[in-house]
Amino acid sequence: MPYEKYETVIGLEVHIQLATASKAFCGDENKFAGSPNTQISPISLAHPGTLPRLNERQVAYAVRLGLALGCRINPLNRFDRKNYFYADLPKGYQITQQDEPVCLGGGMEIITPDYTRNIRIHHIHMEEDAGKSTHDAYPDNTVVDLNRAGVPLLELVTEPDFRSAEEVDIFMNSMRQLVRYLEISDGNMEEGSMRCDCNISVRLKGSETFGNRCEIKNVNSMRFARRAIQYEVKRQIDLIESGGEVLQQTLNFDPVTGKTSPLRSKEDAHDYRYFPDPDLPPVALSEDYIEKIREQQPPLPWDLKQKFQEEYGLSEYDARLLTERKKDALLFMDCCGDSKHFKQLANLFINKIKTHQKESPDTVFTKKQLTEFVELIAANQINITVANQQLFPAMAAAPEKSVKKLAEEMNLFQSDDGDFLDGLITEVLAKNPDKVKAYKNGKKNLLQMFMGQVMRNAKGKADPKKLQELLREHLES
Amino acid sequence: MKIDNSLILKLENLARLQLSGEERAMMNSDLNKMLDLVSKMDELELDHIEPLVHLTDAVNVLRPDIITEKTTRRDALKNAPDHDENGFLVPKVIK
Repeated sequence: MPYEKYETVIGLEVHIQLATASKAFCGDENKFAGSPNTQISPISLAHPGTLPRLNERQVAYAVRLGLALGCRINPLNRFDRKNYFYADLPKGYQITQQDEPVCLGGGMEIITPDYTRNIRIHHIHMEEDAGKSTHDAYPDNTVVDLNRAGVPLLELVTEPDFRSAEEVDIFMNSMRQLVRYLEISDGNMEEGSMRCDCNISVRLKGSETFGNRCEIKNVNSMRFARRAIQYEVKRQIDLIESGGEVLQQTLNFDPVTGKTSPLRSKEDAHDYRYFPDPDLPPVALSEDYIEKIREQQPPLPWDLKQKFQEEYGLSEYDARLLTERKKDALLFMDCCGDSKHFKQLANLFINKIKTHQKESPDTVFTKKQLTEFVELIAANQINITVANQQLFPAMAAAPEKSVKKLAEEMNLFQSDDGDFLDGLITEVLAKNPDKVKAYKNGKKNLLQMFMGQVMRNAKGKADPKKLQELLREHLES
Repeated sequence: MKIDNSLILKLENLARLQLSGEERAMMNSDLNKMLDLVSKMDELELDHIEPLVHLTDAVNVLRPDIITEKTTRRDALKNAPDHDENGFLVPKVIK
């Protein structure tokens, strides 16, 4: 099958659950995995006579995301009703923004190993989540939990700018990193805090028109998204190559079978009958308001990455690892204010701290400790292997303690004390009279063997340079 | 715009209603009367008039992000036609 003839075209709808204290339009608690039907109120239950009122933090978070992505912020926001019947949507409509969404345009760069490309954003709008249905508890009933009903969401819609599952993967990872930097969502796909719908079509390379697209709903893991896209692209190409036609459909991806199957076709597509929600007055966002949010904007991952490369002279790879999590990136930056050994600091973060955090994520590292640690190595006062193997775990276990003091207590300082080294050298040479003779007869590479033995006896405390000097003196005198 | 039988059937489907033949005929005539009434507006020059959505000029009616509501599960389920100890029971949605 000539798959190379075809180009994949993908657009995304990303749903981001906001980490607010309360829901979008009422004061129910917004928390994941609460006991069923305990974070509810007459408003989220859609009782008659209730009136929704918008959470100001949802607006602020939407603007924060919009500014980070270079969107235009809509000065006059409106809310609409999207009408459909489903058991976990008690009002019979979802409050959303159809005509006047909060953010317009903008984009985000994706960086692949081979190229960098901008993915354009069509818009971002505010809306609310639906409740949760469980279908397998009873043979004839579905159980509905409304804790999630009304949880604030942002929906980000991209232009059809993706050309592969890999690009989607990179975009979603960057988006997750961004919402965590902005502290507007926890970004956990496993818990449904971030989900995406993928609109997929294929076309012959060079073609300007789009093929018929299929939408895969609610993919909640990047692994599934990748598999779903790969399966769907192959299905569409096979269909076209065998003389068929791709029908515009909504598809479901089954992670167990790895296949997509129709949820509904275009013919019975929903007619949502959007209309303005009379319950919610417009939201006007002044220049002052937007400016205030811009001023309080947290640092962005790509800005920090660039700074690390340009100001600290780090490689793209190092800078990318260091900026994965905001907390680490900020601590690293803080340390770089106190110690100029940027590369050593970077190595400490990448090789030691990241690994350590995987096992004990709650360990607190302080700027004072980390800079002292690096300074001790840089000043050649402690051997780097000894520092990493012995001093690092001790430091992690005692965050309030001075590293210098720890090293002293553990007796880890390298010695360039001539008497100390002389003693060790004399001891080693006395034990190996044959080898000393061999050395004197020209087997100069035995020097390494002597070095090794003395180093071992010195338990890492010998400064190798000084030791080598002294050894030579002893052997050649 | 004219209401005809196929549009009524579509609306029934969207509203999850099933009308009898008699009801359908009544609905058809009612809806057409409403449309006739509203179509009076077509006689006016309204191009420069913004649609009126809200009766007040209020904007930015917002609430602070704090938890103020707490309905107990017991109270929430009280009015439900069917429920178990945890949630609302509805006819099976997915087979």
